[in-house]
Amino acid sequence: MKDQVGGNQKRARFQALCQSLRPDLLRFAFWLSRDRALAEDVVQETLLRAWKAQDSLQDEAAAKPWFLTIIRREYARCFERKRFVTVDVDDLVAREEPTLAAAPEAQDLAEMRAALFRLPDEYREPLVLQVLMGFSTAEIARELDLSNAAVLTRLFRARKQLRVLCGEDTSLDPQE
Amino acid sequence: MMDCARYRRLIMIDPQDPDPSLREHRESCHGCNLYTERLMRFESRLDHALRVSLPSDRVVWLSAKSRPARHSPAYRRGWFAIAASVLLAFVVAGALWLSAPGPSLAAAVVGHMAGEPQAWRRTDVPVPTRALQDVLRNSHLRLTDATGVVSYAASCPFRGYRVPHLVIQTASGPVTVMVLVHEHVAKQVGFDEQGYRGVIVPVAKHGSLAVLTRGADTDPKTIEYIAARVLDSIVWTG
Repeated sequence: MKDQVGGNQKRARFQALCQSLRPDLLRFAFWLSRDRALAEDVVQETLLRAWKAQDSLQDEAAAKPWFLTIIRREYARCFERKRFVTVDVDDLVAREEPTLAAAPEAQDLAEMRAALFRLPDEYREPLVLQVLMGFSTAEIARELDLSNAAVLTRLFRARKQLRVLCGEDTSLDPQE
Repeated sequence: MMDCARYRRLIMIDPQDPDPSLREHRESCHGCNLYTERLMRFESRLDHALRVSLPSDRVVWLSAKSRPARHSPAYRRGWFAIAASVLLAFVVAGALWLSAPGPSLAAAVVGHMAGEPQAWRRTDVPVPTRALQDVLRNSHLRLTDATGVVSYAASCPFRGYRVPHLVIQTASGPVTVMVLVHEHVAKQVGFDEQGYRGVIVPVAKHGSLAVLTRGADTDPKTIEYIAARVLDSIVWTG
């Protein structure tokens, strides 16, 4: 009986944890896949897997990277199962227009979102991890299985390219 | 002393970098100070841009017991699976609403809820399969596994008919579903009445489906999503 109560409390805590992280997990999956429906599916599968594997999460403070790892694996599985055809970025932007849209007074946000879609995956992902998920360089390196130096380079190139794509004045930007 | 090129490179990698040597350079170099201000404005826009508004509540909590159906074009669509259990709650709808002069369908559904507070409790104990089948059989339907674990179901009197009344535990808490095969609506109707928020959706050839949550914590889009998922999981047998 005592075990059951403890189990219920644990489940409830885990569920609350998932609930609190879910918005960011969805955003991460969205920027990873650039496909809202796919992001929802990936996160849904992630929650199921996380639920089943919750005992392996020893420290709730480490929950975010733990979930992100599952999301990335789930997303990778999509490629194993399906042969994704090459899609024109313009088509992706058009398809996700409702999600990328911003208020009329903030059109620059919509433009930046479209620019993020155009950023190569290897630059977009570390940038999202840093800005959206608050990861440090070392955490990004661990998550993406890269060296610290590689992460620094990708972050630098990500911002540099993004600024060009957004039409920013880059005349004073540093060279690589 | 750090030079400007190095400073700008480092700040481009991480504009929030708290390294004291970066701050030192910034404070001593007017050009880099201006450059940083511009970059920080860009960074703020980037942060806002990344925080897209996504219907996060559309992803529902899954029970480990349930395995969702898959019918997604991109991946495994439709396989949400509402986590949990359905409560069986049964209310004697009450003479009050029955005698009331023509309440709206939404008001009648809400009125029905008032008499069944026990239906809203959280539980992960599934209703026996046979009991669930008995409730659903009278309305000529069954539920696929994609519904998740149904833990509570009752056949309730409602406007002169007996209708399946289910409660499903979702990520948004308990959700009541009433299958109203005798109630036809022309279009989807959302409502927020007396502490209940819900939606009634038309079901071709089978009346309508009411989905309700208690309180205002669940947004209407989530409720619509849950309603769509429940509809997807219904197989009509007659």
